[in-house]
Amino acid sequence: MSEPARVRIVLPPVPDAELLAARAVQDVGARLGFARDTLEEVKLAVVEACLNALEHGAGEVEVEVLGHRNGEGPRIEVLVTDHGPGFDPRRVPSPQIEAKLHGNRKRGWGLELMRHLMDAVDVVSKPGYTQVRLLRRRGGQ
Amino acid sequence: METFELRVAESIGVVAVLEVTGYINNEGGEAIAREAGRLLDTGTRVLLFDLHATRIINSIGISLLLEVLERTLDLGGTLAFCCLSPSISKTFQIMGLAQYARIFPDRATALVELRPAP
Repeated sequence: MSEPARVRIVLPPVPDAELLAARAVQDVGARLGFARDTLEEVKLAVVEACLNALEHGAGEVEVEVLGHRNGEGPRIEVLVTDHGPGFDPRRVPSPQIEAKLHGNRKRGWGLELMRHLMDAVDVVSKPGYTQVRLLRRRGGQ
Repeated sequence: METFELRVAESIGVVAVLEVTGYINNEGGEAIAREAGRLLDTGTRVLLFDLHATRIINSIGISLLLEVLERTLDLGGTLAFCCLSPSISKTFQIMGLAQYARIFPDRATALVELRPAP
């Protein structure tokens, strides 16, 4: 059993901090032999998870990027943790472009994009602690 | 790579081509919305966004593109994109954007389709 490659980052509350996490995904994924296009999809999903955490969390956002080689094959796992009020992912509506185009609120795509771009998205949330876990296998989706 | 730039590469008649470079985030999306608004206010009715130098976009940038799309459609115009990276193409597909905006593989093909016949 080999240890996963592991990068831990605490995102500062500054513009484009989410790109720090995207760069970590790039580095870990490249070591695992992920294709460029696959990595760009993972980066997009991770950017969305980080944006949500930075926007709704309270203070620091922690990101852990893990590159696994063993067991089920090469895969990237990303954990994004914030300490905001939390939310119920079952109550996040699936956005519809027709409604978004004619409505005032055009945002609300983040979770939907994550779910389509990753092989698995799990959310654990309670007041003071929310963790989004994203998983993408090499050759997945 | 992620530094945002926006340039009106061509503006002929009612058709304008906007080249976007870098990360389309809130600031990039706002810059796009401002420039698109200016073009629409001065008679442009077809906006073609060339994204060949853009590899990443976020959902705030996307929401601002939707505002541009809504305004363009309200004026009876057309919003189009070309040269999408595979991940951005997939993102637009997930959103269902192709129902309302036109998507082309390259700029030359787009302009042949979008320019009014002489």
